[in-house]
Amino acid sequence: MRDPDVRDPDVAPTVFTPDALASRERARRFETGLSRAGLGLMPRLGRRASDVLLARLLRLLADRHPRAFEALREMADARVLIEPVDAPVALLMRVGPDLSLHAVPRGANGVGGGAVGGLGEAGVADAVVRGPYARLLDLLEGRIDGDALFFRRELTISGDTALILALRNTLDGEEEMDLVADAASIAGPLARVLPVLRRNAGPVLDRIEAARRLLPPPLRRGIERVEARLAGVLPGNSPETGA
Amino acid sequence: MDNFELICPAGTPAALRAAVDAGADAVYLGFRDETNARNFPGLNFTRQDVADAVDYAHARRVEVYIAINTYPQAGNLGPWQKAVDDAARLKVDAVIMADPGLLAYAAKHHPDLRLHLSVQASAANVEAIRLYRDAFGVRRVVLPRVLTVPEIAKLNAEIDIETEVFVFGGLCPMAEGRCSLSSYATGLSPNKQGVCSPANHVRYEQRGGALASTLGGFTINVFGEGEQAGYPTLCKGRFVATGAGEGSGPAYLFEEPTSLNAMDLLPELKAAGVRALKIEGRQRGKAYIAAVVRAYREALETFAAGRPVPHIDLQAMVEGGTQTTGAYTRAWR
Repeated sequence: MRDPDVRDPDVAPTVFTPDALASRERARRFETGLSRAGLGLMPRLGRRASDVLLARLLRLLADRHPRAFEALREMADARVLIEPVDAPVALLMRVGPDLSLHAVPRGANGVGGGAVGGLGEAGVADAVVRGPYARLLDLLEGRIDGDALFFRRELTISGDTALILALRNTLDGEEEMDLVADAASIAGPLARVLPVLRRNAGPVLDRIEAARRLLPPPLRRGIERVEARLAGVLPGNSPETGA
Repeated sequence: MDNFELICPAGTPAALRAAVDAGADAVYLGFRDETNARNFPGLNFTRQDVADAVDYAHARRVEVYIAINTYPQAGNLGPWQKAVDDAARLKVDAVIMADPGLLAYAAKHHPDLRLHLSVQASAANVEAIRLYRDAFGVRRVVLPRVLTVPEIAKLNAEIDIETEVFVFGGLCPMAEGRCSLSSYATGLSPNKQGVCSPANHVRYEQRGGALASTLGGFTINVFGEGEQAGYPTLCKGRFVATGAGEGSGPAYLFEEPTSLNAMDLLPELKAAGVRALKIEGRQRGKAYIAAVVRAYREALETFAAGRPVPHIDLQAMVEGGTQTTGAYTRAWR
């Protein structure tokens, strides 16, 4: 099995120094932020266009992971809301024969108050999984253990526990899910840019970080605010207040 | 010095590959039905998955064991006997079983199939273990998690089959195979249906900053804000004792949410004559499997080389945020 952290075949090293690991972690944070920003754009596209894009993503994932997607289609018809607490959009996944994925805007109090049901036109969710976007992405890609996240209270679930477990186990049974690359591949030129970004993001971010430390504090805070907006974090929508 | 065998869990094909690649000597798994004690939604292996798993593992000199460790329902032996037949046909290296009738079936119809006695049989004394050896040819017993290391040493001195002990993961403090707590609350148990606290009977509720877990409609725990959570099992629930004095709040009755980690006890377990070390967690994700198996492989290699067992941090993986050596060092017993 490939090292789950090594997604780009062009990346050769198999032994990482602590510095290299930290650099890779920063690169991962960068691509996580990038994908979260992409998700944040969904509402601006309008319901129809975002549905078309997500349907394409789902078809692509089904082609790459036929075992898991066959299992998802064999499940009883149900809806799971995957709700990142630090992003402006949640994903509503319908499992069963009519497998589909929809983007659902989040307000300051989450989707429909964050409870099971009450999603307006998106329908009613049978179960909700909530957590920080980066953790949910790690979980969906099988990089992190869901039980461990649950024990640490980084993840909350409500509604049909069996449904969430079935979804988690089905996706975790897949190897080498790379949702960032898969999402990029439906976004045209980004697919070609992503491997280059992944190779270079770590060192470039290191240099930016070093430069940032030299800036006066007011300017540094201003940059952080801009970054938060770009990443789709809305004011007042932190895990604490959005829960 | 012969090293321990490292026996690792897998709930999915991806988890099996993670275990093999991280250094397992054997991987144990179950079919996708009630014949095994981790019959959870979306988990486990189809017959074809098992065939592929055996190919993958054997190509890397790793063994595959199948757990058929629930007790067959009266009048419905078919699924359990078919599971044994299929395990033999698929050329797994051992089957892990608890029910005497099923052990007898396997011994009679598949005499070359290696039999291991599941922890679900709760065989914790010399007479019981000898009975399973003599009657069915059982070659290894997985010891229940209720014995101290000196008790294991004494047991090993008196039996002539291999022993396997849990060293990491979820900690069942009960007489395994005989616990009816889950059945009491839900009508379903690990012994018959392969599910302790079945997920379709579990609900989680946020109560302000607290997290409440309910099982079959009973609230069994409320974790305060910031407090690490555990599995929704009754043995790790908080209760108020009848007749407790005023002001007595809910408290853990049997066991706290905690995970077993016996890595520090490798020298003692070796001296006690243990042959194989088992990691719990077929229900866990492949990230857990890879991390824990890799850590234990490193510890075993270091130990085998005669160096001190290193401290490897597995804190991020444990239930309730705490680790214990469980009954192995429990002084009060």
